[in-house]
Amino acid sequence: MMMGLAMGAILSGQAKTVIAFRSLNGRSETRLGSGGKRAGHQEAGGGGTYDEYYVPYGLMTAGQTFALMTRRHMLEYGTTPAQLGAVAMTCREHANATPHAIMHDKAMSLDDYLASRMISTPLRLFDFCLESDGACAVVITSAERAKDLKKPPVLIRAVAGGEPQDHRAGMMFPVTTRHDMTELGGRKGGEVLWKRAGVGPQDMDIAQIYDCFTISVLLQLEAYGFCGKGEAGPFVESGAIRRGGSLPINTGGGHMSEAYVHGMNHIVQAVRQLRGEADMQIEGAELCLCTGGPLPVGSSVVFRRAA
Amino acid sequence: MGAEMILPFVADRETEGFRRRGRAAAGLQSLRGLRPRPAPADGALSPLRRLEHRLARGERTGRLHTWTLVTHQVHPAFPTPYTLVVVQLDDAPDVRLMGRLDGAPELAEGQPMQVWFQTLEPGVVLPQWRVA
Repeated sequence: MMMGLAMGAILSGQAKTVIAFRSLNGRSETRLGSGGKRAGHQEAGGGGTYDEYYVPYGLMTAGQTFALMTRRHMLEYGTTPAQLGAVAMTCREHANATPHAIMHDKAMSLDDYLASRMISTPLRLFDFCLESDGACAVVITSAERAKDLKKPPVLIRAVAGGEPQDHRAGMMFPVTTRHDMTELGGRKGGEVLWKRAGVGPQDMDIAQIYDCFTISVLLQLEAYGFCGKGEAGPFVESGAIRRGGSLPINTGGGHMSEAYVHGMNHIVQAVRQLRGEADMQIEGAELCLCTGGPLPVGSSVVFRRAA
Repeated sequence: MGAEMILPFVADRETEGFRRRGRAAAGLQSLRGLRPRPAPADGALSPLRRLEHRLARGERTGRLHTWTLVTHQVHPAFPTPYTLVVVQLDDAPDVRLMGRLDGAPELAEGQPMQVWFQTLEPGVVLPQWRVA
């Protein structure tokens, strides 16, 4: 979404150059999985969050919410723990090839994944992204201006956002009342994105998929059209998302194994790949999809290597 | 629930109106004042009001739509293990309500569920669910 705002500011003449950044102390300060700094006898909700209908029951975290969504995906499509594990292992393998990744030195097998402790069934510890400290910044300017810079530019081919057909008021928790809680706003956003970009999911060489949880990768692969509804489990289990597969994803380790910087490390990784500077370089990569957080709405960008 | 508790904020300008008008059918459970009470003639009420009154009388049954067993504790008000349930109302499948069960009961998709009411403090009542 920040890419789109920056692009709009530049195209409309409000700015010549924009820095989009995110800095996050997700470990040394508030642990993101803690549900916030809540303690004692207090109230939850208000302010249009609709949290008052969920938090007093003990639904307090994103992980618990995605666990409820995961259960539905398993019930409706037969998605398995091993298929969720394929996402976690892929990100870990890619981190193992990326020296600065937090999990660079830690290999993970399927047995390791399955042995990790349950947090909120059916999600285990390794279905969750990292809680980390980190910062990323991206400089956005006009293609004309970028021609003269030291580094080769990476072009923004298209940006788009979308919400699901039956979008609910509030923040994350009301996803549980959607008609289909495994459907994301990314589907409508993706349809717009591909039209604007003039390319489709089949044209992507790589993708950086917002991996707050393993299930969020499966849901977005379906929403953006890389596979059919309910087919993401077999898709990832086939190895398609690994290095050498048809769509290598999260090529720096992603949120699961590089760091969690709210999608911005995905943008940085996309730029590095399309400049040919990545640690785990995918040779010949020219087009890359980056997706933003999947709830409550979805946004995405297609980057293209400059000719 | 432990000694600490988290109460619903009940003075939100946006959701207050839903409660006042009994818009349970909008997918938002009433949190205050939803208590068993004499039923007016159903014919005199809108479908939404009938739904709320049936829920308030404890008549409403639903089916288990999804659930998660929480084993990692994040707040002292909710000691683990506990199970969060999302229940779809039998007669209003567009409406799903939250609930919490203690422990780790055996559950299955579509399992019949029955509403009950948990008083958090005077005047603040949560609709909850148990296995029917």
